[in-house]
Parts: sequence; C-alpha cells; structure tokens
Amino acid sequence: MMVNLEALSFIRRGKSVLNDVNAVITDGALTCLVGPNGSGKTTLLSILAGELRATSGGFLIDGRDASALSQKEATRYFSIIPQDVQPPPHFTVFELVLLGRMGRFQPRKSAFWWRLSEGERNAVHSYLARCQIESLSQRRVEELSGGEQQRAWLAFALAQEKKFLLLDETLDGLDIIAKQSFFRLLKDIASEGKGVLLTSHDLDLVTQFADKVIVLNGGKVSYEGPPHAKLRFLFFSTDSQRSPCQ
Amino acid sequence: MRRFLLVAGALVAILLLGMLIGIALGPVKLDFERLLSAILGRGDASAHILVWDLRLPRVVAALLVGACLGMSGCLLQSSTRNPLGDPQLFGLGGGAAVVQALSIAGTLRTGSWGLIALSVVASLIGAGAIALFASRQGISPARLALIGVSLSALATAAATGILAEARVFSQQSLYFVGGSFANRGWSDVIPALPFLGIGLVLALPLMSRLNALALGDRVAANLGTEPKKTRAIAVAASGVLGGAAVAVAGLVGFVGLLIPHLARLLVGHDIRAILIISIPLGAVVTLFADQAARLVFMPSEVPVGLVTALVGAPLMIYVARRVL
Repeated sequence: MMVNLEALSFIRRGKSVLNDVNAVITDGALTCLVGPNGSGKTTLLSILAGELRATSGGFLIDGRDASALSQKEATRYFSIIPQDVQPPPHFTVFELVLLGRMGRFQPRKSAFWWRLSEGERNAVHSYLARCQIESLSQRRVEELSGGEQQRAWLAFALAQEKKFLLLDETLDGLDIIAKQSFFRLLKDIASEGKGVLLTSHDLDLVTQFADKVIVLNGGKVSYEGPPHAKLRFLFFSTDSQRSPCQ
Repeated sequence: MRRFLLVAGALVAILLLGMLIGIALGPVKLDFERLLSAILGRGDASAHILVWDLRLPRVVAALLVGACLGMSGCLLQSSTRNPLGDPQLFGLGGGAAVVQALSIAGTLRTGSWGLIALSVVASLIGAGAIALFASRQGISPARLALIGVSLSALATAAATGILAEARVFSQQSLYFVGGSFANRGWSDVIPALPFLGIGLVLALPLMSRLNALALGDRVAANLGTEPKKTRAIAVAASGVLGGAAVAVAGLVGFVGLLIPHLARLLVGHDIRAILIISIPLGAVVTLFADQAARLVFMPSEVPVGLVTALVGAPLMIYVARRVL
C-alpha cells in the first residue's frame, strides 16, 4: 500500500503551514518525518488521519484520491497516537489494548468486556507480546514508566490492525536506551508489513533506524530519501533538495 | 462479570428492603397483617391510602430521582472526562431550579407535565453550554468544573432571588433548596417516568463509546467513535435526567457526584458496568437517605439533601483520597 502526498498545502488563519508537499509513504517501511518545531509535521499527520482537510492538493492511497475522506473513513487506514496522549485513568494495559480492538469494528458492535471471546483475548495478548509488555498486562497504564507507556500505546495502535501507524513525537522524554529499543521495535514492525510514519527530533536514531526520511522545513519538503550522515544540515536548510531517486 | 452480577443482585435485594421500610414505617404504625393486606389491595381504606397513595409514590419518587441522578452524574463524568461531573455542580439542574422557583413563587402556572417538561428544557440549556465548552480542545477538567460551578451558582442565585422576591420562606422553599420527597404523589412521579425513559434510550447505545472517550478526543475519533457527537448526546441525556430529578425533588446534592465513584469502586472502571450499576445504586442511596430524612426526626422531617450531604461528604473524601 502506498500513500502519495500530491501538492498538499494547508493554510491556518492566513498562515501557510504546509506548502506544496510532495512525498511518498509506503507500507513495510519506517518513515521518519523530521524538521524543526513549527515545520508542519503534526499538521501533516492530522491531515492523513482525517482530523484536518488540506487547503489545496491532497493525497492518494494506492492511486485513489483520499483527500475527501471523512475522518471516520480515514480511520480505516491510519491509527494515530498524538503527541499529547494521556493515559486513561484506571485502565490496565490489557484493557487499553482491548479498547484498540474497537477500532476494527463499528463501535456499536464492539464486544462487551465481560463477553470477551477467546479469540479477542488471544489477539490482545499477541499484540502485548509483540511490544514486549505481556508481563505488564494487568498493570495500570498511568503507573508505567514513559517507555512502557509508549509500548502500551504502540500495542493499542497495532491492535487496530490498520495499515499505517502515525506516531507523533512518541519518543519525547524517554532516555536514550528506551528510545533505541523503541526504534528497533518500530523497525521490526515495519519490516513485517506495516507502514510506520514517525515524527522525531532524534536525528542520530533516525539516521540509524529509518528506512526513509522526509525533512520538512517551513512547511516544505527539503529532503526525501534514505537517511544519511548530512541529515543534520538538511534539518536547518530551506533549499529544496530531493533525493536522486525521486 | 461475576462481580457485576453479585453487586447488581445485592443492590436489588437492598432496594427491595428499602422499599419495604418505606412502605411499612412512618408516623402512622401499620402492623404486618394490615400492611400485607394493604399491599395486596385487600385491607381497610385508611391502610390502603397510606400505602398506595402516600408512601409508595414517595418511595417510587426517591427511586426515580436516585436513578436519574446516578445516571446523569455518570454520563457527565465519563463524557467530559471530569471526576467532578454532577448535574447540580455543572449547572444542569440550575435551569430546572429556576423553573421550579418560578412555579413555587406562583409566577409560572402550569400542571405537573408542563412543569417537568419546562424543567427539562431549562436543564438542556445548561447542558448545551457544558457540551459546548467541553468540546473545545485543551479545556482542562478544572476549568470545565469552574464554568459549571459558575453556571450553577448563577442559577441558584436566580432561584433564591425569585423565592425571596415572592416572599416564599416557608418549608416549601427549604424543601426545594435542600431537596425533599415530602407529599410527592403519583401526579409528581408519573410525568417524570417518560424522561427517565428518554435518558435511558439516549444513554444506553453510547456505553461502549464512552469508554473510548477516556482516551482523549483525538484517539477516540481515530477509533471511529465521533467524540463530539457522543459527548453532545451524553450531556443532553444527562440534562434530561437531571432536569427531571430537580422537577420531582428539588436540589438533592451529592448523589450525582458520588454515585459514579462508588459504582467504580464496586464494579471496576468499565463505563458500561458503571452506568448500569449507577441506576440501582443511585436509587438505593436516595431511597435510604429519604427514609432517614423522614424517620429519624419523626413526625417532622428534614430535607433529603441534608442526609445525602451528611453521608456523601465523608464518602466523597474517602473516594477522593483512595481512588482519584
């Protein structure tokens, strides 16, 4: 599955936030969206998730125009974990991930917890195991460390079984060991077929783990292509520089 | 599931006991034989009137108001993600209180059905304001509570002003401000029943969506739950239930605030279980509070809100320290 951003622009209160953005995001790859604060990373994720509409241009999913999809329709393709996500009070990790299963159905048809089928229970445990937090399943999410919480949210996103994961600065506030471990996990998940789009400021880790990097600068794509050692310079560049393969 | 059934079963048993106390005890004593005959519709006329026309409507009114307030508080707390959600505290009952005050003062002359319908409409106006503020991204629970408390204070001031202007300082106004089920008859209870029905019809299909709202609006929307629409319906249902409760009993404090927290302690934090348990739990607490209000100082009685506050305040402090 492939998402093509085509001349995508977004204007908020008369100010251009995204300007003629062209890029490709594919499944089976960890794509990192980098750029300074205010460069439009979060806005781009919000447009993909159907929370905002592009002012002009748009994006295609497998060649079909998806710009006009309602938020409800967009949720079939993308699961998003926002930057400011708060752990729900009292929920255990198991319950959080179970709630993620709700995203697969029309909410009205979601299973009652007290009528949980063996299949649903096994599915939740498999996603907990995938994120290496099965031992935490009965712990309250709010009591976990930052790194453990992020893994719980990742399991929640995976449980929705959507093709693309949109993670907005998920790793902020974690120590370097936790970040490295999380990046490795994301890379593995991407290699199993998911499309992972992560916004991040950690250029070293992005260079080390990303399959592809999109650099946003002032709302424009200043680089799109594989990570390389000079990413740090591109980060602050305003000149459009495209990968030779584009 | 087992815990839920146990709690539900225990509440139904306590409810039946409370109903029996409500019917059997009072200033006029009824021995068991007369009571049983009256319940079966075979007794003497005075016992029949006492049970069927005086005590039973009051018991049903307490059950109804408790169920409405329990559900209303639960819907507000879950849909606004605010542990302070309470129809009284958030000003939902405020509009209904103004309507009731106008009625007590004699300014508004309408029958029971008209009065309860106007109360519900006034309560829905408060609900609309809360839903509007709650839908704004980034509004904190504390700010929302401050807005609610301000709306509530404004409405209470207006209601008190109306009563003062009309020189109503009788026990009637005391019972209204403190909440009371004294002298409630079937004509007060029956018009409220359809509004309990409307509240249930609006709220029950939302139950699974309310769980998702705990994750925040953006994540909830990504699960396909339409958080703004869900919240609007939940707060509207809360307004209908809160307005109907105020129309029947006046301002009964603490029940809407306390019941969802107690339900959470009893059955865990799945909103579906909390919402369902809030119905009998609210009914039980209000019924027993009313029995205490009418029996402890027999033959006179105190406002039921005094009892709910006396019992509710320490319980709320306990819940706040232990759970929140």
